[in-house]
Amino acid sequence: MELKHHEIEELLGVYALDAVSAEEADLVETHIRECPRCRAEVAAHREVAASLAHVGSTAPPGVWSRIAGNLEEAPPQLDMARVVSMRGRSPRRSVPLRAAAAMVAIAAAVIALLGVQVSQLNGKTDQLDVALRRQGLDQAAQSALFDESARKVDLRSEDGATFAKAVLRDNGEAYLVGNNLPKLPDDQTYQLWAVVGNRTVSIGVLGPEPGVSPFKVAGAGVSALAVTAEQSGGVVVSAKTPVVRGLLPVV
Amino acid sequence: MSIALQEISDSGLVVAIARYREDALAEAYRRHAGAVFALARRVLADLTTAEEVVQEVFLRLWNQPDKFDPDRGSLRSYLLAQTHGRSVDLLRSDTSRRRREEREARRTAEAGYDLEHEVWDLTVADKVKEAVAVLPVAERRAIELAYFGGHTYREVATLLGEPEGTVKSRIRAGLQRMRSALKSSELSDTGDVAWN
Repeated sequence: MELKHHEIEELLGVYALDAVSAEEADLVETHIRECPRCRAEVAAHREVAASLAHVGSTAPPGVWSRIAGNLEEAPPQLDMARVVSMRGRSPRRSVPLRAAAAMVAIAAAVIALLGVQVSQLNGKTDQLDVALRRQGLDQAAQSALFDESARKVDLRSEDGATFAKAVLRDNGEAYLVGNNLPKLPDDQTYQLWAVVGNRTVSIGVLGPEPGVSPFKVAGAGVSALAVTAEQSGGVVVSAKTPVVRGLLPVV
Repeated sequence: MSIALQEISDSGLVVAIARYREDALAEAYRRHAGAVFALARRVLADLTTAEEVVQEVFLRLWNQPDKFDPDRGSLRSYLLAQTHGRSVDLLRSDTSRRRREEREARRTAEAGYDLEHEVWDLTVADKVKEAVAVLPVAERRAIELAYFGGHTYREVATLLGEPEGTVKSRIRAGLQRMRSALKSSELSDTGDVAWN
């Protein structure tokens, strides 16, 4: 069934109150993904509905402890980081990245697995403070690049035409300088991966137009970095050939 | 540099939650769990199930913080929309509906219980009450039945003896009217106001 725009509009109020059938909900959801005006109207209706809630109520005792007890465990063996953005938190589990299989093999031969922590400190799409921090990030990345003891990695495409640079300091601070990566369509994002031993782990979702992205690497287990282009929000397992990739110098 | 979680915005909290800060989730819970619980309890009329919904909603925020888009509304409205959707799903399952109807029938018989009346009395913010007061009775009743009663607009139409199209229009118009009234009283952004 397909509805005309004005028929969808008539459903927006009842949709916002969950007062439609499942089929109608699907129709509206499909429509508002593409229609910013209708999406905004639904959001406005939901704000109104939220105002009707009983703001003075207190949370029931005991529920928080049940929630806290059900939170996911900390990252497993590799203690891999939480990689997050407002658009999509990457999985904690390390995953195979088929496209980087060759790099994995090299890395596995060279790198002993040490305790590694990789944590992206700032989500690329953190809409609150990215703008304020951008200048500071650039300076921090430049400072790291001038640090002689820092490990620098050139990430390149197979034809060498596309490149990015990563710098990893001894204190775990790391930056990906991705200003030269071509801008992706808005429904896509770059995603940064690390090869650790024989595993490939998502470090973070960088957005469609990455500038300088900070992350953290503690330990020496990361042998290679790769950047793929993925659908917005990122993926658990990438089947894509890396846009750029590079091996870290052996410490 | 460390900023107390109590001082950061809801959106900032979600960023911290996305970074696996349990204390940020606790702060979001402190700010909004009361409203979440109240709405779930109101729709479901069942304390235990309402608590389960609270648990689900906050665990979902923890597991999928990216689902919250600050461009599409406040965290509060997001959480309450999640709460309402889940509550309505439960309500519409046969078992829950039957239990709820039995409970409501019992309460009505015992105490002259009037669900809609109670619902509106529980709405605490004066300016929200004022916004509700601007609604024509027909719009208000349609919204009540849909939002707090968990009915579809078709069910509301049957209950009120009105055409379905009329109910759809009334609900939409009522929400728009309330929106205007809330805006004029500078309460339209309930998200970051309510927790302060």
